[in-house]
Amino acid sequence: MPGLSIAREAAVLVSFISLFWLYGQSRKHEKRIAPKELGRLLAWAFAVLAAVVLLSTISGITTRPAENGARESSAIVILVGTVSSISLVALASFVLLIVRELVLFKRRQGTKRSLLIYELLLASTSLSAILTLPFQQAFVGSILFTLTVLFAVVISFRQNWIVYLSRREKIYALVYSGLLFALFVLLNVVLAENTLGNKALTAFSRPLQSYVQLNAVLGAIYFGMAFVSTLFHLPTAEVYERKQSELNSLHNLSRLITQVFDFNDLVNMVTQMTMEVCGARSAWLEIIDTNEATGEMNIQVVSRKNINQEDVAAFSDAESNSMRHMLLESKAVMMVDDVWNDRRTRFLKDRGKLKGSLLSVPLVSHDKLMGVLYASKQIEYGFDQDDVEVLTTFADNVTIAIENSRLIVRSIERERLQQEMLVAQRMQQRLLPQTVPQHPSLDIAATSVSSLEVGGDYYDFVSLPNEQLGIVVGDVSGKGVSAAFYMAEVKGVFLSLSKICTTSKQLLDLANQSLMESLERKAFISLIYGVLDLKTGSLNVSRAGHCPLVFVSEDKQELIRPNGLGLGLTNRQVFSQTTEERIILLKKNDVCVFYTDGVTESQNGSQEEFGYSRLLEATRQARMDTANEIKNRILNSIHEFTGTSSYGDDMTLVVIKWLGA
Amino acid sequence: MNEFKIHHREGDGVNVMELRGYLDAHTAPDLESAFQKLLNEKKYNIIVNCKDLSYISSAGLGVFMAYIEDVRKQAGDIKLTNMTPKVYNVFDLLGFPILYEIYKDEHDAVSKFHEGKKSSTV
Repeated sequence: MPGLSIAREAAVLVSFISLFWLYGQSRKHEKRIAPKELGRLLAWAFAVLAAVVLLSTISGITTRPAENGARESSAIVILVGTVSSISLVALASFVLLIVRELVLFKRRQGTKRSLLIYELLLASTSLSAILTLPFQQAFVGSILFTLTVLFAVVISFRQNWIVYLSRREKIYALVYSGLLFALFVLLNVVLAENTLGNKALTAFSRPLQSYVQLNAVLGAIYFGMAFVSTLFHLPTAEVYERKQSELNSLHNLSRLITQVFDFNDLVNMVTQMTMEVCGARSAWLEIIDTNEATGEMNIQVVSRKNINQEDVAAFSDAESNSMRHMLLESKAVMMVDDVWNDRRTRFLKDRGKLKGSLLSVPLVSHDKLMGVLYASKQIEYGFDQDDVEVLTTFADNVTIAIENSRLIVRSIERERLQQEMLVAQRMQQRLLPQTVPQHPSLDIAATSVSSLEVGGDYYDFVSLPNEQLGIVVGDVSGKGVSAAFYMAEVKGVFLSLSKICTTSKQLLDLANQSLMESLERKAFISLIYGVLDLKTGSLNVSRAGHCPLVFVSEDKQELIRPNGLGLGLTNRQVFSQTTEERIILLKKNDVCVFYTDGVTESQNGSQEEFGYSRLLEATRQARMDTANEIKNRILNSIHEFTGTSSYGDDMTLVVIKWLGA
Repeated sequence: MNEFKIHHREGDGVNVMELRGYLDAHTAPDLESAFQKLLNEKKYNIIVNCKDLSYISSAGLGVFMAYIEDVRKQAGDIKLTNMTPKVYNVFDLLGFPILYEIYKDEHDAVSKFHEGKKSSTV
């Protein structure tokens, strides 16, 4: 018989423990809000208590008159007892779970340990109820019971969760914990020795009776403490709530401002947010641009909120603004509690502007002061240390956001420049001849490569009257877009003058004259121009400060270097006096190479230049090949010399081979 | 990166700028501001010593063109000295020896400045 009873107890316990465990697991993954849980627990407790009281009353009424129908009534009693027992056990388990969660909120060292001890004591006390000897049970049981209640008190001091509630939530928590305290006290009364509920529960399972009772005590103690605790926390709720909302808005704002890239939008948002973050009446933002070279500072108010231009100017443009001086000096936050009576801002009183309190926070990036954020309130002593901290954090984010927006502007600008460079590059490509002239007595090959998007090299051919061909190779000083423009100008000058000039010198004289007027002072153009008579092979060459012409014949190779000045360097008279022309009579298989300094100035690893002699030699070696092969031979020779396949500078080659008239 | 440095000396009423390294499109603005500074200080007797100048590009040559006119208007001059053959060749190709006084040695340029002063005071 006792064996059977122990087996029954064990079965009931195991099933309840499994249920408890399952429910505990299902709660684990959910984030719960404390007051709501308390409300739910309250509803449960109320329902269970009411049910138990109601059921025991009903069963008490029904059993009394029908004394002869004892069997029937005992069945009802058993049913009622079982139902109320199960609901009481469920309630006790619910209490345990909720208290567990609340205790473990923001756990500290030892929190978990206290809880574990309590749970072990709870289990031992409950199980000790199985001990059959009444003496043992009374002795061991009462010691364990006392210890358990003691630890219930210990863990009831863990009320951290209350701190994090909002004011509204705290009020709910206060009401709920008060009611819960009352209900659990009531439950303890219901479970006192001789009530029907207690009898039913004891009959159902003694360990569970003990379990329910202990948890009812825990509930009463814990929620009693919670009630008192919440009551004490209520006055500080508002401060905490404000701080919390400041932190929240700070976080949101900081995230938001990093997403605004337009500078004006950004600074407007910053001043707006400054007001929100510290509850200021007005705010404005100064940006400080420091000229790297001169150290001169330009301070500009880029945004203001809820304050008129005059008031800001009264502060910002004041010559004897001692607050500004101190700010620039210290780069630290400054709080002025009473603007009109503070030494630093007293000057504002004379102007009758900006009463109240003022807070200024510097925006410091890479140790450089890039701006100052101001917040002002109408009342004196309007800002506190919290405002300083919040605004300082906010200012750090503002600094990053402003830096970002500047970087983006810069990169957009760079992108735009790149686009313009591409346009210039395409334009320049069209200025160069797309094909070389074809003539039976002449073989021509030409190439021009640019190291940058837009180079300064130019070459061209023009058919002249009397079966003559004009050949020009030039180099515009400078690079990039301006070089492309100058090149267009040179092409225009060259094309128009070549039709009216009979000799190369005449063309250069006139070209210098016309370019002198339009070129920038520091810009000039070097150019070599040859007029080739296709009937006789006579080449008339003039050189305007350009690289000498390479001339390779059967018996000699030489650099043709008539005197001459660069175009755009000096006036007509000096230019004309200096510039000479040379006439060479080409024989069959004679080769002339026009080129730019990129060819001769190509450098190898040890900074040696390719130079004239290598150019002459490469040309000589390939003299009997086609013009195109000569050109390739020169290019290969340069590559071999420099050891790379790329070019360090712009490079143009025009190879002319006379095949005989 | 090829460096470019300017060392400025002053004495005997002559300002000497010693150029060192690579003078190209990137470094030309440095030389420009150095010239501008001398002009702002009304110093017009300028010698550019090219002893350690290892390279000059067309942009570098342009700097001299930009200031020579202003300097000469103020009865001053920019004289170039101590060029290496390589650098001289660049100046020579463009015809600079016709436009500028170029000396083998800085002393020659200095005494030339002093001669000019004497002849103008006499």
